Amino acid sequence: MSDELDRIRREMHAVLQQPGVRPDDSLQITRRTFIHRSLLFGAASVGQTFAWWPLLNTIDVAHAAEAPFKFAWISDTHLYERSLNTRFVDKVVRAVQEVQAMDPPADFLIFGGDLAQLGKIEELELGVELLKDLTIKKYYIPGEHDWYLDMGKKWGELFGQPNWTFDHKGVRFIGLDTVSRGPDYWTVKKMTPEERMGHMATLDGTVAGAWAGVGRDQLDWMQKTLADWDKSKPIVIFSHNPLYEYYPPWNFWVRDWREVNEVLKPYTKVTNIHGHVHQVLYNEIGSMRSIGMLATSWPWPYAPEGVPKLTKPMIRADPGDHYDGVGWETVNVNADDKVDVEYIMWGRKEVFVQSDPDSSLSQPEKLRPRMADNMWPY
Amino acid sequence: MTIRATVLGTLCRPSFVVAIAAVAVFVGPTSAHKAPHTPEQLKLYEDLLMEEVRKGDLLFHGDAATAKQMNVVLSTTGMACAMCHPMASDTHPQSYPKFQVETSKFATLRDMINWCIEKPNQGEKIEIDSEAMKALEAYIHWSNAGSVLVPGKH
Ligand SMILES: [Fe+2]
Ligand SMILES: [Fe+2]
Repeated sequence: MSDELDRIRREMHAVLQQPGVRPDDSLQITRRTFIHRSLLFGAASVGQTFAWWPLLNTIDVAHAAEAPFKFAWISDTHLYERSLNTRFVDKVVRAVQEVQAMDPPADFLIFGGDLAQLGKIEELELGVELLKDLTIKKYYIPGEHDWYLDMGKKWGELFGQPNWTFDHKGVRFIGLDTVSRGPDYWTVKKMTPEERMGHMATLDGTVAGAWAGVGRDQLDWMQKTLADWDKSKPIVIFSHNPLYEYYPPWNFWVRDWREVNEVLKPYTKVTNIHGHVHQVLYNEIGSMRSIGMLATSWPWPYAPEGVPKLTKPMIRADPGDHYDGVGWETVNVNADDKVDVEYIMWGRKEVFVQSDPDSSLSQPEKLRPRMADNMWPY
Repeated sequence: MTIRATVLGTLCRPSFVVAIAAVAVFVGPTSAHKAPHTPEQLKLYEDLLMEEVRKGDLLFHGDAATAKQMNVVLSTTGMACAMCHPMASDTHPQSYPKFQVETSKFATLRDMINWCIEKPNQGEKIEIDSEAMKALEAYIHWSNAGSVLVPGKH
């Protein structure tokens, strides 16, 4: 696994990171930090003492917006039914309240997938009910947890087409479906829908395989969608999975990232914002930059290998505080043509690792994939 | 007399005692005529380990049937160990025993497993030397094989 990953990473470096090929200069990262004041509401409880002073990360992303605006991102809520788990419900409520309280308000919300935990009708409907309190325009892309119980039937009824595009104040936005084109691992093994979903809902499962991908049909659609767009104008692409290769065993990638890069190559200001990883991530591939967002539910640890060198890691979360290591984001497009991504991590004043012991990467790991899920049936 | 004393001395080595316990069923009463390990014995040891790893893997990933069979309630929130620790990542079994911030104690991996069961998962903690604990420990260690031993590392 590691050798294969090494090989692909060398290839990615050779193909996509040729000398001089980077996101446009206006896309350089300049991190500034400041204390956010607009979040001072709601009931503080134990463990949240520090939660109201998130350190905000600023990344200058794009330019040429016609007017300043901001939008919000929430993803990976992984809702169970209320009767089983209210912890995740509480955190969605909190995120929704905080987005609703933004002043000036966000122009729209992107929901980045994994609304449900096991793809159940009740879970998806609970998500709709909770997000109803948010009155701004909402756009949804699916996560794998939303999809594989009924193959997207309920999700489609609730949210419509999983990929879409719109222009807003000089920026072209695209939502991609990176989850629905997984290989069929269930028919031969005669799995029930619940069994199919169970394998898909296990991040380190070995049965569902390399399910994350954009697909030729959707790549063609994206190419057509961008055909009339000025090569130097900003594009923001939302996807559940990162559009590059980070760690395939957890589908922290799309398997057709090479083709994605082919389509995006002519455009110089492409920003990809993605969920699924439940962690702070930053990478540049060719002329695209990619930013990983927090979950509201729980943080995933960084993978044992492949963390992009450009990522400033987030702090290791306190496992006893389920408001730590999670949160939501605002993306702020300024009058000076810059876009700031702000991580609002509830448990923390400092989102980023300040010293070695605060980083899960300070203790290297060598891990084996699990074995029991391939012994079918159990 | 001399030979006998040597055999007894050998038997007192802990590793030997463990090995005998495991294969007692095959070799019968201890005798002075010990043979080297056979490939069959080594296969047996490996199979015994992998059976524990398999059970531990299933428990760690929230498999309801295995939990029921082993009579444990590791979680009541829908959370499973692997949801924060895919492939047993971020468990660092090779760093124990160490001071554990969560419990303010010098703790073993088993202490920490129980803390995770009781606190984040809101399950029922398990006996420290129970079958389920051994299986979980076997899986975590097996998955982390290759990580470097660093006692006490936070
Ligand atoms: Fe997720
Ligand atoms: Fe996901």
